[in-house]
Amino acid sequence: MTKLIETDVIVIGGGMTGAGVLRDLAARGVKAVLVERGDLGSGTSTRNHGLLHSGCRYVVRDEDAAIESYHENLILKKTLPGAIDETGGLYVKVPGDDDDYVKLWVEANRKVGIPVEEIPVAKALEMEPFLSKDIEAAFLTPDGALDPFVMVVDIVADAVSRGAKVLTYHKAVKILKSQNRVTGAVVQNSITGEEIEIRAKMVVNSAGPWSGQVASLAEVPLHMINNRGMLVIFAHRFNKHGIFRLRKPGDAEAFIPTRNVTLFGTTGINTDDPDDTSLDRQEMIGMLREGMPLVPKIFEMRLIRAFSGNRPLYQENGADDPSGRNVTRGMALLDHQNRDGLEGFITITGGKLTTFRYMAEKTVDLVCEKLGVSAKCTTHEEVVPHRDAKEFFKTVDMAPAAKNKIRQWAGLRAKSIEETMKKEKVNTPICECEQVTWAEAESVIPENEGFNIEGIRRRTRLGMGPCQGTFCNFRMAAVAVEKGITSAKEASRELYHSVMERKKGMGVVATGETAKQLQMMEAIYRISLGLRQEAEAHV
Amino acid sequence: MHNTLYPKPSFDQCIKCNACVIDCPVSNVSLDFGGPKHLGPELKRLIENNEYIDDSRIDLCTLCGNCDLSCPENVQVSTLLAFSKEAHAEIAGTKFRDFVLANAETVGKLASVFAPITNLALKMKPVRKIMEGVMGLDSERLFPSYRFKNFNRIYKKKTANTKRKVAYYAGCYATYNAPEIAEAFVKVMEYNGIEVAKPDQKCCGIPMFANGQMKQGKKNAEYNINSFLEYTRQGYDVVVTCTSCTLALKKEYIMYLQSEGAHELARHVYDADEYLRMLHAEGELNTNFAEMNVKAGYYAPCHMKSQGIGNPAMDILSLIPGYEITDVAAGCCGQCGTYGFKKEKQDISLSIGKSMAEAVEEVNADYTVTECGMCKNALDQLTSKKTIHPMIVLAEAYEKAEKRS
Repeated sequence: MTKLIETDVIVIGGGMTGAGVLRDLAARGVKAVLVERGDLGSGTSTRNHGLLHSGCRYVVRDEDAAIESYHENLILKKTLPGAIDETGGLYVKVPGDDDDYVKLWVEANRKVGIPVEEIPVAKALEMEPFLSKDIEAAFLTPDGALDPFVMVVDIVADAVSRGAKVLTYHKAVKILKSQNRVTGAVVQNSITGEEIEIRAKMVVNSAGPWSGQVASLAEVPLHMINNRGMLVIFAHRFNKHGIFRLRKPGDAEAFIPTRNVTLFGTTGINTDDPDDTSLDRQEMIGMLREGMPLVPKIFEMRLIRAFSGNRPLYQENGADDPSGRNVTRGMALLDHQNRDGLEGFITITGGKLTTFRYMAEKTVDLVCEKLGVSAKCTTHEEVVPHRDAKEFFKTVDMAPAAKNKIRQWAGLRAKSIEETMKKEKVNTPICECEQVTWAEAESVIPENEGFNIEGIRRRTRLGMGPCQGTFCNFRMAAVAVEKGITSAKEASRELYHSVMERKKGMGVVATGETAKQLQMMEAIYRISLGLRQEAEAHV
Repeated sequence: MHNTLYPKPSFDQCIKCNACVIDCPVSNVSLDFGGPKHLGPELKRLIENNEYIDDSRIDLCTLCGNCDLSCPENVQVSTLLAFSKEAHAEIAGTKFRDFVLANAETVGKLASVFAPITNLALKMKPVRKIMEGVMGLDSERLFPSYRFKNFNRIYKKKTANTKRKVAYYAGCYATYNAPEIAEAFVKVMEYNGIEVAKPDQKCCGIPMFANGQMKQGKKNAEYNINSFLEYTRQGYDVVVTCTSCTLALKKEYIMYLQSEGAHELARHVYDADEYLRMLHAEGELNTNFAEMNVKAGYYAPCHMKSQGIGNPAMDILSLIPGYEITDVAAGCCGQCGTYGFKKEKQDISLSIGKSMAEAVEEVNADYTVTECGMCKNALDQLTSKKTIHPMIVLAEAYEKAEKRS
């Protein structure tokens, strides 16, 4: 018998937008269920620079988007302290780039009120020694870094604490309709295949690049322009500020320092398949070459992996720009009642990571209007609990680096992690590159969802360092089996998936230490541990 | 403040293979040490443009340099560790004891003046107990004795006039504790027709680097570089009888100073036996050695291994007729310069030394040959064999041959 859930709103898509919508709904007292086919943020939301825009990147072309971004920049710095690193931005002009654009840019920023400050080139070089000595101008901007992994998890957790429900690893397979109105959806557990019927007054489609697929479940035509962008990760955080090329927005022009690494990208190629996160070495080489005018030693610096994600771009009348650069980065809030005559169905798409909260606010405003709820948005003021846990772990016996990590990271879980640590006594990191201990990893393993190394990775940074899980993946699997969290069978399957996933991103880098790292990883997993694809047969 | 920029961010090259951890003498005997990988490249990566992480366990590193040797990716692990030591000393402050140990030269000068009293006092149990209590110096560890007639008082020659000219870097140990080594070296050079000048010099800085006194160490380095470059530019070769000093002049100055001068000097520096081996290869070595029927064991100090030049002392000593020399092939001695004198390091120091002692006993030679005065300290204390510097053996072989003829 199919399980039944009743609620007011179903939010389909557990990325940043869906998380924001869920939290806003919960904050306004609207009952809601979030449905996500995989893990939270496993799509586009964690496949990006993690850039907290100041708006100045778009200021010349799209004033409204710039203002929106700057406004949100200020709000997020206040309300999402645990996920934001106020690095500041540094916009740099290199020889050959248009001088007139710089003038336009400065003027446009002044006009909309984004504070940018020119600094002497010598000072910029002193702050960022990896910058080219040939740069011609440098401006400080209020850009920053966002940790999307932390953001999506924390915002959903905050929504849950306000009564929202979350179904991860559940895929929407059917949107239920009665005549011209939506009445709910059927979702399927992607592990067990079990189906749940959710009855609701409204459905919000926030599935990002998969929005077209979700809309088709409701038989609504929706053409998304999915624009695949590639990024690379440098082995260490070599810059202090987010570094940007000061020119008309194009490919490969932002170096964002985040946690212990620097991210660089990106490219833009339209793709039909939202699941296409393929990586191409030539594309990567081209991108790195584009980065040379800013960071001349780019080819000598160690890369640990590459990844790609799909921007969900939307233009009502379509667009035939294959690079996607000219399609608006503004959000698209589609009321399918007006657009397609289907009541109770809304799509929110387009937009930026930085503007997710604003997108959610506008979406929930519309939902509330339709449901007759008068509560106003509060997410621009209410702070998501900080990750900082400095008052904990003082007496726990562990190495300073691991302590430093957990005290910046534990947040609301601090107390229970501290208890585990005191009980277990051995608090040696399982992941040494990113200093993840067992106690921390255990605290993020969800009950009844099975053991999932990728899920632990997103929540702790396990295996995100230079060795890419060469050592920690098997340690994690082994300890989890030893502690009775999972079976040996499930652990080997997870291990296999996890190693393959790391391998994908490392393989495209293919040179230098990362090539050697990959060889060593292969030797450990294939030869020493005899990990084989057969493990997959257990699925 | 602690984001020191290296010529090449070598910490980025670490592939986490743990070879350095396996080869680390301290990691081998203690789980209390974070290990060279963690305290070196791993920690360096975590603090780049991030909050500084101070790890007091860096004190347990001896700066032996075995990590550099074992790294397949050429990560300068020990350099990273030395800078962490500096940062930690700045943050946590320097104990008076460590300051004293770091300044071996000043101590040497003072102790040498009052040598008879110093030596007597250093051997007295109550005095040693007080030193342990007040300063944290291990009362079980014997200190090398000091000489009133130190090498500075004996040897003042500032120039050489032979075809090959040697500018001798004696180092603190051969100056204040064992001038017979320096004298033997001068003699060996004489037998080869080479005059030895002793330029003005200061402590090489190794004890300072090891105790986090990077600034003082760099000052000494600058002094020595300037002093010796005056000689090398006139065609002198710089020859050293202490392996740690040699390593400083050859490698550490380059790593810590990254100066042109450091690079220039390093090109002229030789370990004494390495120098003799070079003379031999050129056909210039006087091989008129008397026969010596000795079975010797050779113990290679870590800082000899770090130079990557093999075991030149064995190569040279085996030229002596009848002289049989076997590599003890042991790891670190555990004394590690000033490390073994520290009370809190006693357990680690002695555990490290244990396998060395066993190896020495197993070879069961007449005596042990080693270049390093600090290794000698551990060998003297932990083994039943006498310890001799190779220059002393060579001088004897030359002298005997001369008397015979």
